[in-house]
Amino acid sequence: MASAADATSDEELVTRFPGFPVDFDSAAHYRGRLTRRLLVNRCDACGIWHQPPKPVCPACWSSAVEARRVSGAGTVHLVVFLHQGPPATGVDYATPYPVVTVELDEQPGLRLTSTIVGSRNDAIVIGRRVTLDWIERDGTPLPVFRLVDQQPRSTDTAGDAGAAR
Amino acid sequence: MISARNPMKDKVAIAGAATTGFTPHNSGRSQASFVAEASIRVLHECGLTAADVDGICGSTPSAASVQKMLGIPDVTWFANPSIPFVNHLAAAASAVHSGLCETVLVYHGAYRLPWNTASSLRDPFRRRSTMGLGLGGPGPETIAGAVGYTAWASRYMHEHGVPKEHFGLVAINDRTNAAQNPAAAMREPITMDDYLTARMIRWPLCLFDMDVPVDGADAFVVTTAERARDLPHPPVLVHAAALGMIDLNEEDQTPGLGRHGQHVTVEALKAKSDFWIDDIDVYFPYDGFTIITLNWFENAGFCGPGEAGAFIEEHWDAASNRILINGRIPVNPHGGSLSEGATQGSGHVREAVHQLQGLAGSRQVPHARRALVTAGGFFFNAQGVTLRRD
Repeated sequence: MASAADATSDEELVTRFPGFPVDFDSAAHYRGRLTRRLLVNRCDACGIWHQPPKPVCPACWSSAVEARRVSGAGTVHLVVFLHQGPPATGVDYATPYPVVTVELDEQPGLRLTSTIVGSRNDAIVIGRRVTLDWIERDGTPLPVFRLVDQQPRSTDTAGDAGAAR
Repeated sequence: MISARNPMKDKVAIAGAATTGFTPHNSGRSQASFVAEASIRVLHECGLTAADVDGICGSTPSAASVQKMLGIPDVTWFANPSIPFVNHLAAAASAVHSGLCETVLVYHGAYRLPWNTASSLRDPFRRRSTMGLGLGGPGPETIAGAVGYTAWASRYMHEHGVPKEHFGLVAINDRTNAAQNPAAAMREPITMDDYLTARMIRWPLCLFDMDVPVDGADAFVVTTAERARDLPHPPVLVHAAALGMIDLNEEDQTPGLGRHGQHVTVEALKAKSDFWIDDIDVYFPYDGFTIITLNWFENAGFCGPGEAGAFIEEHWDAASNRILINGRIPVNPHGGSLSEGATQGSGHVREAVHQLQGLAGSRQVPHARRALVTAGGFFFNAQGVTLRRD
């Protein structure tokens, strides 16, 4: 899996991700982003995934945790539409900005938070299936999600209908 | 592991509580000046001097700063716990009970900063502080911090199919109560129409679902029950306290609304305390966001999951336009974080103390003897304390 990004120095890594919590435990995840690979920590001893990156496996205390590639396929678990928020290149809160927490297919409860691109807000509801995509912000890749073209899973629409977003 | 051990039970008392009152504007004063004012006031009320204090406990300014600001000669214990405020009370009570010190000045300065209100950025002296920003990264693609409550509110509505009005009742109750509290920042009553048409901030939560950033401070004296009995006000005994947390305590990794820090807090308090919700005279569920209050009602055992709004409707006192559980028990009678101001729990504890001391003025619950405070939210910050009059 050697790539140009793996050779990125720690110094360069923190300059590519200003304000992000880049440290010894999360560096592999951020290096992966530079080549558009979404890496999540998985324990080589017991096989349990965890997120965000920690120095040991919370399940078995092994330090043999490795940033492994995930598919990025998953299901929308939480939804927020920001009517205001921190300034970010390409983000216009005039249209409320979706922020979603997605449960990844790799393991129940393993979640990643980002935005959804390419959809109207009223299509973004809990239970929708998503795939991984990438955008560039200020020259650095950012993992985002895209709705899979299908209806919401049954029983997953209560409470979302008709809300002003 | 949840233990029923509680050797501290009723051995430590809150001898007094004082506030500066709260303002929802950039006040032109420092956080330290509010902490000084509240601290001096509570020490005066308790008949104590700086030399009587041998412990200091609060978040910001640091205990070291408060010691030099108030010229407190010698202390043998201090701590700077993180919010919410039950943390500070539990730490101080533990220090008194263990003998690390005897009399603790406990303070909390609520202050308008960039992490809780963007308008604080208009004040150059507040701009330098970035507490709470950048928790998950610099952009909007995170639910770390305050956004986490909004995200789980979407899940609550999804799982239970409840209307927004259920959230609104929490906001209206607080505003009605704040009208009786001269220290409160927001005292104009609101209607359900006001709530439903309020500015959306982060769907599904609007302006009235979120607490009001304020300037102001509360301060307390915590000492042994014996010592407190010699001081002017009736002692309020710290009966049981717990800071509950589960392993998956990041905002987006927490397993769900069915099991988080609030559940641990409740299980621990019920194990350690001789009384629970059937025996209390006043209840203080945290209300930094309306969703937190709904969850506390459910997790404390007043009703089942998703039923808090229906419970509140059932116990709504139409005449006074607020919650009175069983026609008797008010909820956040000071107005809570949504209307007194965002005190991160110190206002809830202060009002509980005043209610149990009989010092709550026009808000006084007749013969109040027992109170429950359940502070904080779902992640790393759920806490609770049972208090009783001596």
